[in-house]
Amino acid sequence: MKLAAPTAARVTYEQLRWMSVCLALALAVHITSLPLWLLATIAAAIAIRLALSARGYAAPSLAIRTIVAVVSIGILFLRLHTFNGVVAGSALLSLVAGLKLFESQTRRDLYVVALIVYFLSLAALLTSESFWLLAYLLAVSWLTSAALLRLTHSSQSTGWWRSARYAGRISAQALPLALVLWLFFPRFDGPLWRVPSDSRSAETGLSDTMSPGDITDLALSDEVAFRVHFEAVTPPAAERYWRGPVLHDFDGRTWRRSVALRSSAPDLTPVGPAYHYLVSLEPNQHNWIFALDWPDQWNLSDAYLTSDDMLVRPALLSHPIDVSISSHTHVQSAQPLSEVMRRRDTRLPAQRNPRTQQLALELRRTHADDLGYVNAVLDLFRRQPFFYTLEPPPLGPNSIDEFLFDTKRGFCGHYASAFAALMRAAGIPARVVTGYHGGSYNRFADYWIVSQSDAHAWDEVWIEGHGWMRFDPTSAIAPGRVEPGSDRSLAGNARLSGPWRQPLSWLSDARLQFDALRQLWRERILRFDQRSQDRLLSSLGIPDPDGEKIAMVMGAGLALVFIWLTWQIRREQRPDPKDPVLRAYGKLCRKLAAAGLPRRPYEGPESFAARVAVERPDLGPRVGALLKRYSHLRYGTNRRTRTERWFIARVRTFKPRGILPGSKESRRG
Amino acid sequence: MRSLRDTAIARIRIWYARRHGVDDLPVKIERRRIYIVPSRFGLMLTSLLIAMLIAGLNYSSNLGLAFAFFMTSTVLVAMHHCHRNLLGLTVDVKLEVDALAGSDAVFFFMLRNESAVDRCDVEVRLSTASDSPRKLVQATRSVAIGGYEEVMLAVPVMNRGVSRFSQFELRTTYPFGWFRAWTYVQAPLTAYVAPSPAGNRPLPAVAAASGESARSESRGEEDFAGLRSYTPGVPLKHMAWKTLARGGEASVRVYSDLGARPEWLDWSSLDGLDTETRLSQLSRWIAECESGHQRPYGLRIPGVDIPPGRGPAHRWRCLRALACHGTPPT
Repeated sequence: MKLAAPTAARVTYEQLRWMSVCLALALAVHITSLPLWLLATIAAAIAIRLALSARGYAAPSLAIRTIVAVVSIGILFLRLHTFNGVVAGSALLSLVAGLKLFESQTRRDLYVVALIVYFLSLAALLTSESFWLLAYLLAVSWLTSAALLRLTHSSQSTGWWRSARYAGRISAQALPLALVLWLFFPRFDGPLWRVPSDSRSAETGLSDTMSPGDITDLALSDEVAFRVHFEAVTPPAAERYWRGPVLHDFDGRTWRRSVALRSSAPDLTPVGPAYHYLVSLEPNQHNWIFALDWPDQWNLSDAYLTSDDMLVRPALLSHPIDVSISSHTHVQSAQPLSEVMRRRDTRLPAQRNPRTQQLALELRRTHADDLGYVNAVLDLFRRQPFFYTLEPPPLGPNSIDEFLFDTKRGFCGHYASAFAALMRAAGIPARVVTGYHGGSYNRFADYWIVSQSDAHAWDEVWIEGHGWMRFDPTSAIAPGRVEPGSDRSLAGNARLSGPWRQPLSWLSDARLQFDALRQLWRERILRFDQRSQDRLLSSLGIPDPDGEKIAMVMGAGLALVFIWLTWQIRREQRPDPKDPVLRAYGKLCRKLAAAGLPRRPYEGPESFAARVAVERPDLGPRVGALLKRYSHLRYGTNRRTRTERWFIARVRTFKPRGILPGSKESRRG
Repeated sequence: MRSLRDTAIARIRIWYARRHGVDDLPVKIERRRIYIVPSRFGLMLTSLLIAMLIAGLNYSSNLGLAFAFFMTSTVLVAMHHCHRNLLGLTVDVKLEVDALAGSDAVFFFMLRNESAVDRCDVEVRLSTASDSPRKLVQATRSVAIGGYEEVMLAVPVMNRGVSRFSQFELRTTYPFGWFRAWTYVQAPLTAYVAPSPAGNRPLPAVAAASGESARSESRGEEDFAGLRSYTPGVPLKHMAWKTLARGGEASVRVYSDLGARPEWLDWSSLDGLDTETRLSQLSRWIAECESGHQRPYGLRIPGVDIPPGRGPAHRWRCLRALACHGTPPT
């Protein structure tokens, strides 16, 4: 190990430290996606290098560096199997940055680290939509630029704060330019090429199975599932059923989705009004798009309807998307149900839930009509002491029997499950639909927030001559039998609780306003695309923008910004006009110019004084003294206010016209 | 590769010299004479920016694009700042310097900042594009608001003669090292490189004195020659006190032979030696005369006749004559 020789190109401890801080700040946003051992390795590499540098040692020898680099990159590849994609790529880049810091000896090494910091910041933003993350990373890049300033600036005397301030000024001046580029740079619809999408670790939201007996405590989060803006007509609360996975297969305890086929020709006749709305979906672990009951139009080219009328898309929703949909809440189907589907939706495990099957048979005997039977079942829920609770008792293998005859307590899943089982036992095709119901209105920005606590389950029953009809057995529970504090899933009843629903609390208002801002951010910034560009241009008075027009507008915008920038720089270039000494100097020069002695632009005070002494010997000593004092004040090490005042006062009383210009000749003559 | 680059740089310099002509010093660096290109680091950053842009487009990430554009804009603004770091700077230089062969010719540069912003890391570079290998000396300074900075560049000079530099360069990579802005100042910098002292011939007077040993005893019988006006540093005993006492101005008595007879360092006394050896011997004699005894000395070489005198100015005058010997006047 050798001591570091101090040369200009060699990095100092201070420079290393600041670049390490910047790298750590950039790594902080990747902390959840990077393996722990990798972070530990990088931290150790940085710590060792800093410790060496603090004691005046150079970087470890080439052999050590090579071994560390090869081993750690090798392990990383063995763990990840790929370096493609954002997560793996960021992992590799982070490691390379750590190794680069470990071996850094010259400025050029730290330049590479700075570049990686910039790219790591970008990588974090590719998969994020957070305003705060953007703000944070802009700040990190500002700090990195400041660190670069310290790195290139060879005279280290300036304080850290001054470097940060100067880098901050440059960053601030970059903002308007960045805005113009961002607004007018052409956007493309799809990706240029496919990249492997990284699945998220945390599971939230609906799942594609439902086993009400298992859940004894339904954890409902306030996490937003999606937001909806209705264009013209808002459907009444009782019609706002957001369709999620439709469950068909029942084994006595658990409902499952069957294979979701692409719907063939839609044979539905809409009934009632159509609703047009924009759904802003948060990412979920599935490919589901939540639409009102029966969607018939949407603006997402790759989305399609399954055979049970759920809107899905081929890829997972790893990013938030916005979809314009129009739906009907009621439909009629002229054709009969296909035999395959009828069999699927009437199937019940024969040996399970015997009491339920018995009850169904009894009810069916008195209600031969399908609709009458449905109403009889709903009546059963209404009349018997069924309770709504979010903390139901656990159920055994015959979950429906236990729920219907013993416990009589449950939430939407229990009711939907029991209702569907009763329908099927009577030979009526029925299926369980999961999704969301209701939502809270944000009056600050005219949209609805549907959160995970609005998750709901209901049923669809095939009634001959009508088609699939929606029934919500949970809504049959009398309001008096809803346990206190557990009415969130009955949002359709418009009872308000939970954080979104405290109409009198300023806190809730603040939350709604904040959410409105988020939605604005999402609509205006995150979803900014070609159409938004077109709208922006037509609002600027440029209709039907094509590539050429956009380029022209962008060019004009850039030109404006550059003019502004040049003006800014020119302005700071000029000496401070408020400086009294400078003003006095200007006055002196004007007086001398009026006396026929203009200062030439290239003349400093001294050479000017020399010329005055030659051309006007009468003024020479006086002007010389003034100019000498001025150059002391201006270029000297310290300025004294007394000398300043003396100078200013003398300039004020100075009169070059003691002898008129040209009088030199007359005196001679 | 290296030579190719050097050739290219030399071409650019020649083109530049033709475009701008010789500058009047001091020069205020204006817009049209500043050139700017991305540095190697800047080129690396540019490719990174392209990668960022493609990544942002590919992921259709508006935030990614925003960051990429922010970085792009920072680079463009930094370019302005790099350019501005030289803009309006006033530079002056002492055009003619003297040096001894084998040591350094030191040029004095003056950077003056009359604007309201600091100028950081301005590098003054002086290189001889014609020489091979290329000689380059540089120094980096920061000039505070309204301040000035003196820069000394020591150019090693090996051979006697007149070294000319037709231009020097001001360069900066401030603020972030992404760009390199530079300007050439066309100024005829001249280093008069005197021969380094060498040779073992005794001084002519010493040689003559060996035959005329009584010479030194005649000291003190100096003849009064007149008065000249006072300059600081004159021995008190030479002051014309009487004149001063009468109310006249301070004067110094001048003697026809202040100290001794002048020493004539004569080219022709060194017959039989080649030019450079002769010049080196003369240089040595000058050094001896300056350091040794008190007598003034004069220099006679073909075409130049310097009357006797003493002191640094005189010494450099003689040395410059030696440096210029045989070189065509400009």
